[in-house]
Amino acid sequence: MNNSSDSSEDKGVVIQVKNTQKETVNDFLKKAMEQGVFDAVLISVKVPAGDSFAYVLLTDKELLKDTFPLPPIMSVQGAKAISSITRRGKGNKKIAAIMRPCEIRATVELTKLGQIDLDNIVLISMDCFGVMPTPSFIKDPEKSLKKFEDAIRIEDDTVMRPVCRICDKSSMVAGDLHIGTRGVQKDAFFIVSNTKKGKDILDKLGLISNKNIDTWLAKVKENAKEKQKKRKQAHKDLQSSIKNLDKFLDTFSHCINCHNCMRACPICCCRVCYFDSDKMKHPSDDYLRIAKSKGSIRFLPDTTIFHIGRMVHMSLSCVSCGSCEDACPMSIPVAQLFSMTADETQGLFDYIAGKSLEEPLPLTTFIKEELSEVEDVHD
Amino acid sequence: MDRKIGVYICECGPNIAEKIDIDKVIKAVSPLDDVSIATRYKLLCSEQGKKFLEEQIKKNGLTHLVVAACSPRDHQHTFMTICENAGINPFLFQLANIREQCAWITENKEEATNKAIRLTKAAIGRVRYHVPLEKKEIESNPDVLVIGGGIAGMEASLHLASPQRKIYLVEKTSQLGGVVTNLEKTFPDMQSCPKIIQDKIDQVTNNDNIKVYTNCEVTEILGFFGNFEGTVTQNNNEDKTTVGFNVGAVVLATGCALFDPTDDPNYGYGKFDNVITALEFEKMNLAGNIRLKNGKTPKSVAIIHCVGRDKKGYCSEICCMYSIKFVRYLQNKIPEIKISNFYTDLCLPEKSYQKFYEQSRGKKNDFIRIDSIKITNPGNKLTITHNDEQGNKKSHGVDMVILSPALEPSVDTKKLAEFTRISQDDEGFFAEEHEKLGPVTTSTEGVYIAGCAQGPKSIQNTLIQAEAVAGKILSSLIPGKKIEPEVKVAHISESFCIGCKTCLTVCSYGVITFDSTKKVCVANEVICRGCGNCVAACPSGAASLKHFTFNQLRQELKEAVL
Repeated sequence: MNNSSDSSEDKGVVIQVKNTQKETVNDFLKKAMEQGVFDAVLISVKVPAGDSFAYVLLTDKELLKDTFPLPPIMSVQGAKAISSITRRGKGNKKIAAIMRPCEIRATVELTKLGQIDLDNIVLISMDCFGVMPTPSFIKDPEKSLKKFEDAIRIEDDTVMRPVCRICDKSSMVAGDLHIGTRGVQKDAFFIVSNTKKGKDILDKLGLISNKNIDTWLAKVKENAKEKQKKRKQAHKDLQSSIKNLDKFLDTFSHCINCHNCMRACPICCCRVCYFDSDKMKHPSDDYLRIAKSKGSIRFLPDTTIFHIGRMVHMSLSCVSCGSCEDACPMSIPVAQLFSMTADETQGLFDYIAGKSLEEPLPLTTFIKEELSEVEDVHD
Repeated sequence: MDRKIGVYICECGPNIAEKIDIDKVIKAVSPLDDVSIATRYKLLCSEQGKKFLEEQIKKNGLTHLVVAACSPRDHQHTFMTICENAGINPFLFQLANIREQCAWITENKEEATNKAIRLTKAAIGRVRYHVPLEKKEIESNPDVLVIGGGIAGMEASLHLASPQRKIYLVEKTSQLGGVVTNLEKTFPDMQSCPKIIQDKIDQVTNNDNIKVYTNCEVTEILGFFGNFEGTVTQNNNEDKTTVGFNVGAVVLATGCALFDPTDDPNYGYGKFDNVITALEFEKMNLAGNIRLKNGKTPKSVAIIHCVGRDKKGYCSEICCMYSIKFVRYLQNKIPEIKISNFYTDLCLPEKSYQKFYEQSRGKKNDFIRIDSIKITNPGNKLTITHNDEQGNKKSHGVDMVILSPALEPSVDTKKLAEFTRISQDDEGFFAEEHEKLGPVTTSTEGVYIAGCAQGPKSIQNTLIQAEAVAGKILSSLIPGKKIEPEVKVAHISESFCIGCKTCLTVCSYGVITFDSTKKVCVANEVICRGCGNCVAACPSGAASLKHFTFNQLRQELKEAVL
């Protein structure tokens, strides 16, 4: 992401796995902390009650043994955690953030939106196999965790969230370093650097990127291709469920207007959401007028327009992470609908949210030729 | 405060009266809250109409005014002035356009009337929430910074300089005059050029109100219309001295550069002797020394037009004419010479150019239209190989080749565009505000362009632009007169701004800066032109525009659609 010559890396480091993959990742992080490459690590841990997972900023390397680099649920989108740390500017210590590719991509988007300062942050992503829907996980956390681990072992994504099942970017390298576990022997994994920052870290740790990573690349490509096919089909099915205004309204009709989706979304970073603001609070006469013109008006008001408004606001930066859907108490397929829309809107600008820091946000650029496909042409 | 809104519907002669049931509109809007009077009048923009409105406002003690009439482009200003005269703030007024948007677009009187009712209601809905805006006045400096001491910069300076207005004329090289100092004669009148230019230089240097800085470059421009601060650095050998001064306007007259023919190996420039550029030929001619490298007088010359035109993608406007001028130079000085002109297209606009061309054609002077061309040097003789219009390959041997290259932006264009926050066009020249409607103004108020800095042009068109720039400045930056910045300006709420800088990238006027301590964007109201780009782009609802607030627009829309 710093310069393109680094990102086209086709060699990597091979790390031998001792005991479990998780422990080996933690050992790598511990070694880096010991050598002062990072001063702190932002990583997921199991909460003390044992029924959920949370990001912690960890400075005691001994605590690394209790971490879960790829937790079974996404209780907080990692980008939000990084934003909380650096929103007011960078700190003096180097922090490594270990996250899923969609969390790293949201981090890239938030950096472009001025909500994250990446100067002292090292972004490390890992091949992701999806996460389980939070509501189903917490029904029986212990059993669910086992189910999750089994599912990863046998590469079965049916227990994962619907957006994860059709994610074609689960190995996308958008950060500084990436840990590749697809297409490798069980006793090893790859580390690939994507930026100068990432390469410098490997150098400092004495790790040389000279191993062929073709097996990983091939597996990643195969997986993405398969997921793209599924994604296309899923979006086709979804489209028929919202193909006219009535169906669209039906889809959102059980929304309770809690705005949880907006609060869980990493991209929704407004201080106050427009739909929560005074600008959307109107005198009762206005409501009576609307009621008069349409016969009746639903309360709470502005339920559907909230979703459309949010879609307009964030779809160009949506990374299909699924946080909104996890947060919905009414099981509306928000993430599926939003990511489908995002594919379309981002496609109009040839933009992939979170892919690169260098690619400017579509709304900040003006290119004469773009958007011709949706232009009204008057000859 | 009790609002008393007056609603006046203009018949616009038969224009509105015949197409809209005005009484129905009056009936529909009269019962609305705050409407204290709704009535019709024959022609509100007439002298009697204006007087009537002013009296109505006073007599009825109106607080707000709505006029349903024509396009705001026609009479918004008229009615706002009436408000001012009648003692109400001109921004407590709203115009509903029921002529262009209702009367003139349909034959269906009922539909036109219904729409007119909605638009008038929308105007009433909006005007209720208007707030008085106060015009501001700021002191302005009448002095002008002119960058570039060529013919454009000198001409503008001479028109502008007066005891009340100092001109700072900055020239990068050691002398004034620019590219024109190399010419012996001008086309098409074939007047002696050195005299014209020397006269101008003398006038500039003898003018007490023009301060000339040669060997100087502009290194910074800050501020806004009426109050710019320019910094100029003088390069005297090793010493660098810096001067700063305050001015009210900036004129960019930095001229242009020539396309480098070495970029196209087909021309053999830099490789073969006696292949020279037009400017090199001008200098040779001015020195009275048209000679080959070996000191002999050439017997045959090829003039190649349109060099670099393909790569640049535009016609450089003057090359055909100066090439024909070269024909005149050559015929005059070497009567027996054989001349061949190779061109892809001839550009002969203006009232006298065609004649100049026709009079220059003759037995020993060919004009050959070509498709492609290549210059080689077999046996030390320059050979021109070209495809003619029919696609036949032909060859000519000549002693000398003169290349007429395209004009391109000068090297400092990018830097100066950044300093002045104006944009460059697709070709890299300074972009004017509007190709037709604003040919010498730019997106930054108070920054003007004259001459080839804006695009290739002849001396006469350069002078026209320099005069236009002077006219613009003389009429807007009057010594002792304060300037009124835009009132309907953007504001960024500190508590809503997330500091994403999206507004900063979409603002064409350099209004917005980022406060890195507070991590929010800040709009400078003095230079804001009220375009609203930032408001549309702001993802967090922090940017708003006075007189176009969310609530005002919502109230207007509510009445229009509900």
